[in-house]
Parts: sequence; structure tokens; C-alpha cells
Amino acid sequence: MQPGFLSIRSLTKRYETMVAVDDLNLEIAKGELVAFLGPSGCGKSTSLRMIAGLAPATSGTISIGGKDVTQLAPYRRDIGLVFQSYALFPHMSVLKNVMFGLEMRKVPAAEAERRAREAIAMVQLEGREDRRPAQLSGGQQQRVALARALVIQPSILLFDEPLSNLDAKLRDEMRSEIRSIQKRLGITSIFVTHDQVEALSMCDKVAVLNGGRLEQLGTPNDLYERPATAFVASFVGRTNRLSGVAEGDCISVGGKALRAPGASKGKVELMVRPHRMVMTAAGETMPDFGSEPINSIDGEIRDVYYAGDILHYEIDAGGQVMSVERTTSGGETPVSPGSAVNLTWRVADTLVFGAAQ
Amino acid sequence: MTAATMITAPGSRTSSIVFLATLLLGPIIAVNGLAFIMPVLNLLMLSFRESLGGGGLGDAYTLDNWSSTLVDGFYIELIVQSILTSLMITILTLVASYPIALYLHRAQGRWRTILLVLVISPLLTSAVVRTYGWIAILADDGLINNTLKALGADAMRLLFNKVGVVIGLTEILMPYMILALLAGFGRLDPRVEEAAETLGASPWKVFWRIIVPLTMPGVALGCLLSFVLAVSSFITPKLLGGGRVFLLATEIYDQAIVTLNWPLAATLSMIILVIFGAALVLYSRLLRAVL
Ligand SMILES: Nc1ncnc2c1ncn2[C@@H]1O[C@H](COP(=O)(O)OP(=O)(O)O)[C@@H](O)[C@H]1O
Ligand SMILES: [Mg+2]
Repeated sequence: MQPGFLSIRSLTKRYETMVAVDDLNLEIAKGELVAFLGPSGCGKSTSLRMIAGLAPATSGTISIGGKDVTQLAPYRRDIGLVFQSYALFPHMSVLKNVMFGLEMRKVPAAEAERRAREAIAMVQLEGREDRRPAQLSGGQQQRVALARALVIQPSILLFDEPLSNLDAKLRDEMRSEIRSIQKRLGITSIFVTHDQVEALSMCDKVAVLNGGRLEQLGTPNDLYERPATAFVASFVGRTNRLSGVAEGDCISVGGKALRAPGASKGKVELMVRPHRMVMTAAGETMPDFGSEPINSIDGEIRDVYYAGDILHYEIDAGGQVMSVERTTSGGETPVSPGSAVNLTWRVADTLVFGAAQ
Repeated sequence: MTAATMITAPGSRTSSIVFLATLLLGPIIAVNGLAFIMPVLNLLMLSFRESLGGGGLGDAYTLDNWSSTLVDGFYIELIVQSILTSLMITILTLVASYPIALYLHRAQGRWRTILLVLVISPLLTSAVVRTYGWIAILADDGLINNTLKALGADAMRLLFNKVGVVIGLTEILMPYMILALLAGFGRLDPRVEEAAETLGASPWKVFWRIIVPLTMPGVALGCLLSFVLAVSSFITPKLLGGGRVFLLATEIYDQAIVTLNWPLAATLSMIILVIFGAALVLYSRLLRAVL
């Protein structure tokens, strides 16, 4: 692997009773925005805190721009951190909050104030310089926190679930704002989130963590189309799962033979994205996949959910529950529960994983 | 009729709220009136009476106690010394208690409970007992001086002077200070400290720029409490001062119990009350400034 701007090697954090981060290896290029995505408790915050120097690493190294910072105290690392809880200084005005990092860097007062005002303008908080944090809304407070971290022009900017405390609309707004500022300034950034939409929509790359281990690092498209592990496949996007027994590229699922790309052996799990499965009810014409090899199974509709522009079907296929969506074109009656249907998809869209879990 | 039915009862809503407020505040008003306001007014009256010696009171009202106290160099010195000594004790108590309170604030689980009990436990023994403990430690042949002598150093005079009073009162006031500090540490947030660190603040800077300002409510409360307790304590100064350290509280005790000059004792008591009032004003000013 080519050494990146931020280079994390064998990073491990062990608490008395557990390993929070287990042998993490990661290279992040300059200017990249990388998401750390994973369920709660998978070690995202701990990894971030080790990068910031707030938690000492048990073993492994962290280097920034070729310089080993593993043993450096946080205040010597030149890293910006935006917390979920904002963590503003409650006894200082917005301006003083933003100026704090510059003051610590001994930037002359006049210049510090000018730069702080610029940063405040960048997050669209002009006119609120003299307010105390308590006088601002949650979204505004997080903007102050962002300005405070940006103004010091850190070599790396870290976000620890910065949008989790905001409501949905504000979250969308802040997402695109953070992304555009990050791109404009070209700051290498890590964005921790448990929200896959956030990770996939904002970031250049996503590192999926699970149980303290890195499952996969890739572009959003990589993760979705070519998940490296069953965990990634099921955590990123929705999947239908089928368990079976493989023999080469032929997999027997409940007595029915399916095909999958690549060869495997023993117990496996097949995963297919719901929107790649085509449902055909009795009397409907099968879709045409051309010459592509396809898989097909039979099932019975258990439930239908109406969600405006889509109909959501739950199908029982030999004891395994599949979900399939159909966009509605208006005026049609949904296929009723109990109906026999057929599910068809491309062999190429079939993901196979060893049934480890 | 219960308070709840009063609120929901038809008719004037305001009057029922007033009634409820009176009902709830009644007990504290009664206690304060009987046990605080009345005695203070009594003292105030007493301070304008003439002392006839041997505990007798003249019938006439006079300004003599006040005028003689406020021009007498001895009493002015006494007031100034009392305030200065109490301030010094307050500051020493703060310096000694602050790190302990900070550590306690951050301690967790069982360890925190154990430490908290240790901090409070001195309050379970009387100040008199603790003062005698200090006498055993500070005396000419006490623990400290014996140790010094054993090490070949000169003995120090630590008892029956101001040094002893300051040491003893500082220790006695520490539990109060620590509890007040803890009560006022609510605004401390480890995340905020970490934010400062990532912004380039050394631990030293984090302490002075973040921790100290955020703990000012606790510091103000603790100092107010310590100062008031220091000014008004008389057993410890009396025993550790050995009659050679003159403070307002000990003088009041002497005038009231030994000399039986109650009007003078009352006058000095009123002066202490004025000092408390001033401390309270200072406290609220400070609190408003830091919040
Ligand atoms: N100070 C600590 N002491 C012991 N265990 C901890 C500590 N901090 C975190 N952990 C554990 O480490 C694991 C990872 O935590 P964290 O990095 O906060 O997860 P995430 O941010 O992904 O939700 C969790 O199981 C958590 O309980
Ligand atoms: Mg976390």
C-alpha cells in the first residue's frame, strides 16, 4: 500500500476487558474525506481519539505527512476535532471560541480576529460573534465548532458524529456545507458516523469498521457493488440473504440450484440487493435479461407496504424472507399477499460470502 | 382542603396561587422570623443599650457602643485583622481543596464514593476534637517539632499564634470548601477540555483558560462559605491561638461570656453581620461576572 498523508499502521487500543480497535491499517491521501462507518461501539471514536492524541494507542503507529506523531500530545499534533456534543467553551463568546486556537498558536491578536471573523463568515454566522454558545441553536453551535476547528488550518480535520444531535433537515444542510468547505480548503478529513447515507453521500472513501476491525476501505461504489465481507454487504445498503451450500459456482439453496460468480465451497451466504431482484407474479411476463445468466427462485408474498412512489413486498422464499420493491406507475393494484411469485436476478449481482457468522 | 384542590378550584386563580405560595413558604418564613430575624433585631437593640458592668444593662439607649467601637484603634485593628486572617484562611483552604475537588469530580464508581466519605468524615467529629488533634501535632513537643528536632533542625513556634490558627482553621474548613467546589463544578466537561487541547492548548493553558473559569461558580461559593465560617469561628482560634490571637469572634465570646458586656458583644456581632453582607454582595457580583 502506498503511504498516504495520514498513515495508520497496526493501530490497536486495548482496554482492560476488551480490544476497542484491533490492528487498524489505513492510508488516507491528502485532501481526502474518509468516513469511518460502523455500528455503535465498533471503535470509531476510539480510533479518532487515538489519531487526535486524546487516547494513547496500545500499539501501532500514526504518522501525518511522514512524521510519526504516535507519542505526541494532542496539543502538538495540529489536528482539528469537531465533537458530537459541540464542546464549545461556554464562558467565551463565539468570536473568542473561534480565536482560541489562533491564540494558542500565538497569532497576533489583530490577525487572529480577522481570521476568526473570516471563519465565522464561512459558516454563515456573521453578526453572532458576540453571542455566548448557550444563546445559539444546536446547528449554530456546531457551525461555531466547525469554524473553530477550521480556523487553525489543521493538517487533519476529524469529525466525531458531528450531526447526530441535529434534526434531519439541518443535518442535510450541514452535510453539504461541510463537504463543500472541506473540498474548497482541501483539508484531509475523517468523518465518523454510524449513518451510512451520510458516509456514502459525503465522502470520497468509506472505512467500514466492525468490532474494532477494518472490514473494508473503498469508495462508496466499491462498498455497494463489491463488498469485501458479508458484514459490509449487510451494513451498507439493504440486502436479501439466502443461506446455502456451495460446490464450485453452484450453490444449493433449499434444494434449488443457484449460480454465483466465482467458486466457493461449504456453507455460504448469498446476498442480493433488493432492487436487483425482479419479482414476477403469475400472468406477468418475465423480464428479459438477454443472454446474461440468471438465478431464479419461487416464493409467496407475505406482506405489502405502500410507500407512495414504491410498493414494498415481503416474500417468503422457502423460509427465507426477501424484500423487493416495485415503483408504482399509478392505477395498478398491488399483488396481494398469498400470491405465488418468482424472483429473478443476474448471477453477476449475486454476492457470495463464507457463512462465518 | 389540599393544595392541589385549591389550584383547580374555580374562582380567582391568582388568589389560590398566592395561597399556595404562602402555604409552601410559611414554614421557612416562620423559622427564619423566629430563629433569625427576631434574634438579630434583638441584638441590634442590645447594641444601643448601655452596659453597667457585671452584665447589667442601663435603661437608656445610647450610641456609645458604636461610636467607641468604630473609633477605637483596637477594635478597628481587630476588624481588619479578622477580615485579613479569614481571607488568608479562605485562600489557603481553596488552594488545598481545589486539586482534591477536581480529582474527586473526575473519580468514578466505588473509588469516588470512598473518597467522598473520606472528605466528609472530618465533619463527623467536632471541631473541638479536631482542634485538640492539631494541638498535639503543632505543640512545641508535638509531632512536627519532634520530627524537626530529630532531623536536627530548629523547632518552630506553631501553636498559640496566628500560624496555628490558620493551619487549624484551614483544615477544618476544607470539607466545606470541597463540597462547595464539587457543587459548583457542573460546567466542567471533559470534551471541552479535549477540544481546547486539540486546538493547541497545553495542559497548563487548559487549566487556566478552561478549567479555572468554568469552576468559578464553585470557587465563589466555596470562598463565601469558608470566609463566613472563618470569620465566625471562635473555638479553634481560641484554643490554637491560646488567647494571644485576637479575632472578632473570640472577642465577642470574651465580651459576652467573660466580661459580660452584652451591648459591646452585640455591636461586634452586628459588625460581623455587615461583613457577611458585604461578602454576599461580592459573591453575587462575582457570580454574575463569571456566568
Ligand atoms: N475508556 C474506556 N474504557 C473501557 N472501554 C471503553 C472506553 N472507551 C470506549 N470503550 C469501549 O470501546 C468500544 C469502542 O468504543 P467507541 O470507539 O466509543 O465506539 P463508537 O464510537 O464506534 O461507537 C466500546 O465497546 C466501548 O465500550
Ligand atoms: Mg462514538
